[in-house]
This record gives sequence, structure tokens and C-alpha cells, in this order.
Amino acid sequence: MALFIDYGYTSLNHVGEELCGDKVEYAQNGDFITLVLADGLGSGVKANILSTLTSKILCTMVSNNVSIVECIETLISSLPVCKERGVAYSTFTVVHLNHEGQGFIFEFDNPQAIYIHNGICKDFDRQEMIISNKVVYKSDIKLENNDFIVTMSDGAIHAGIGATLNFGWERKDIMDYLNRTVKPDMSARTLACNLASSCNDLYLSKPGDDTTIACIKIRKKLKVNIMVGPPVEKEKDDYYVSKFLSNTDKTCVCGGTSSTIVARYLKKPIEVDLTYLDADVPPMAKIDGVDLVTEGVLTLRRLLELSNMYLDTKDLKPKIFVQKDGANQLADMLFIQASDVEFFVGQSINSAHQGLPIDITMKLKLVESLAYNLKLMGKNVVLNYD
Amino acid sequence: MIKVTVCIGSSCHLKGSRQVVEELQYLIKENNLQDSVNLGGAFCMGKCNEKGVNVNVDGVHYSVEPKDVKDFFEKEIKSKIK
Repeated sequence: MALFIDYGYTSLNHVGEELCGDKVEYAQNGDFITLVLADGLGSGVKANILSTLTSKILCTMVSNNVSIVECIETLISSLPVCKERGVAYSTFTVVHLNHEGQGFIFEFDNPQAIYIHNGICKDFDRQEMIISNKVVYKSDIKLENNDFIVTMSDGAIHAGIGATLNFGWERKDIMDYLNRTVKPDMSARTLACNLASSCNDLYLSKPGDDTTIACIKIRKKLKVNIMVGPPVEKEKDDYYVSKFLSNTDKTCVCGGTSSTIVARYLKKPIEVDLTYLDADVPPMAKIDGVDLVTEGVLTLRRLLELSNMYLDTKDLKPKIFVQKDGANQLADMLFIQASDVEFFVGQSINSAHQGLPIDITMKLKLVESLAYNLKLMGKNVVLNYD
Repeated sequence: MIKVTVCIGSSCHLKGSRQVVEELQYLIKENNLQDSVNLGGAFCMGKCNEKGVNVNVDGVHYSVEPKDVKDFFEKEIKSKIK
């Protein structure tokens, strides 16, 4: 059965540096995804160039099924040599995986990747290979539902050196931390952000090294249908709603008129809850048979802000949505739970909204930006306009 | 029992339905009318062109601006309770 591959990363820059010396590259080619985490020698510009070249070359070559030997030979002959140190050096971790959870990992000088199965951290079974005099480890992997792969640059295991910990945050202690904090319904991005944020705490917010956590999670698919606005042709209302309610795991309706149409189709009342959980987001409602019912444009605007925060690879605020307002509940359903999102966008114009900051152009723009961000999160997105 | 419904659709939200709801909640409690007034919300009532927030009292429609909530409450809600 094809599963969904969720990935995400968070990076901390070496204190005082504008550029990060770690780089994550991700590509999808056919049934396979490829993720590369590279850490360039030093920090700042040089490190950034080395890791950018390394990750881009490896990701492109591996995703096109070039053998690892050839990849590494290409890499060695392409990397610029550092004038001061006389070496060309960047570490890397490459994960290549299909949607059944099968694939391999290659590791060179990065901390050993952590495998989380049933909420418990493990090591992959690594085999040593010598390629162009370099020791590279290969692991064949077979992941199952809710398994994680956590890859990191050495900034993670060095976290706290000289500040809070004598020898840094050892890998076994990171595993212990993960054993305590990982939840099966966490997203890859949430986990990466949590771990990076803990590293940042150990560094007392002044990272002594570039630190990156990149994480992959494999899990079952979940489809969410979201309806935004009623269709232009009123006669199509019922057809439109029946399409919206079928072939899906979860449903959300955003907007007053849309909710009315759905409630009429289902022959159920709309119950509006008057609790204001967030001053900027209007209250929610309930319709039996629909998972979430929210107001339209204002809620979507807040949702877009949340999606930008969620995608930010430097923002260390926890990437979870536990608040109960409409925007946060939508964020949890769309960003954390969904693998596939289908939008049903009705373009009927509410004449009373024209000229206000909630008119149809605003709504369509919001949907477009939101769909773009969902694609960046790796979701399969379909847009229907009626 | 009087049924009061406040519109919380997008347009009314921008005109201050939150202030209207919160002030009505406060006034109802202040006057100990919890058993006589049933305050609820509704999505768009289709009267977004009105100047204020749409409020419905037992089927009669009003447009209420946040600054006028107290007067509205005295005149249209409190006075109707025996």
C-alpha cells in the first residue's frame, strides 16, 4: 500500500552568521523521494557554498538513480578546495525512499541517523563501504506506518559544549529525549523543530555550530476536502456539495453561505458557538456530518499566516496547533493530519462583501497562496473552481 | 424566553460582532437574565449592507453598532421581559 512521505527540517545558524553552513535538499522523482543533509566545512559563506553544492549534486544524481560511487567521485572532483585549510570537505546524509517505505541511506561523517519505530529510537543496520578512500555507511531500510528517520548535522550532538554540557548532547541522550517526546501523530516538521529548539536551548540561544535536524516520517494517507464559497450557478449547489462530501476522510467548510448550503443538503441545523477563542478569528459552528465548520476569509487569512510559520525553517516556535479557534483547528487538520487536500472553491460573489477586505479577489488569492504552501509541505493538492 | 441571535459572519465580524456579543453576554449576566434571554450566533444573515452588526430579536431584525449595545439592550431586550 502506498504511504505518505512527510518531511521537514529546522536549521540554526552559527551565532553571528547570516548564512547557514548546513543545507537540506529534497527531490521527488517517480515513486522515490530523495533527501540530502550536507554540512560544509567551517561556517558562513564557505560552508554554505560547500553544503549547497554537495546537497544539490547528490540530490540530483541520487534521485536519478546514479550509483553512489559515481556520485561521490563527481562530488570530490567538483568541490572547491579551501585556501586556508587545503581541503574540500562536506559531510552528508542521503535518504532515498519509495512510497512503500523501502530504500537506502548513505552516510558520510554526519552523526548516525536515528530510526524511530513504534516510538522507540533505534540504529539502522549500517554496512561500511570504502569509496575513493572515504568511509561511507550504507543502510538498507524498510519503514512502516508512523516510522521516523531523524538526520542531523554535528551541531546537534555538539549542542551545549562549553556552555551547559561538557561534551555536548550525546547521541544516546538525544535518543533518550526522543523516546520521551515523540508522539505517533507528530509531523516530521514538528519533530525537527522540537529537537532543533532543544539544541538551541542547550547553546543558550548562541549556537556554536550550524545545527540542522531533517526528519522524514512515513504514514498512512488522509484526504481532506475543503469547501470555500458557494458555486456561481445556484442550481449546482447540491451537485457541488455531494461532490465535496464524497471520496474523502475528512471535510471542512469555510464560510457562512457555504455552511448554509451544506446544512441544507444534509438536512441538519447549523449550531454556532459564540465563544471567541481568538479576537481575530470569528467563532466556529457545528453541522452534523462535517468535521469542521468555520467562517471564511478572516479565518483563511489567519490560516495562511500559520502556514508561513509552519514552513519557516528558522522559526523555533513549536509547530503544533492545539488552540481551538477555527484557524488553528484547520491548521492541525490540513498541515499535520492531511496528506491530500482537495479544494472546492465557489466563485459566487457576495455583493455585500465587495469593497471590504473580505471580497472575492481576496478569497481567491488566499486560496491560491494556501494551496502553494500546502504543496511546499509535500501535500498533494487539487483545486476545483465552480 | 427571548431569543437573540447575533450575526458573526465575516462582514459583521469586521463591524464588531465580537464586541456586541461580549457586551450582551455581560449585560445579560449583570441583569441576571440568563433564564430569560437565549443568546446565540448565526452565520451571514444576508444583510451585510446594514451599517451595524445584524442582530435578530425573536424574529425582528436590528442593526446594532458596538457603541449602541447598551441602549439596544435596554430598549429592545430588557424592556420586553416582564
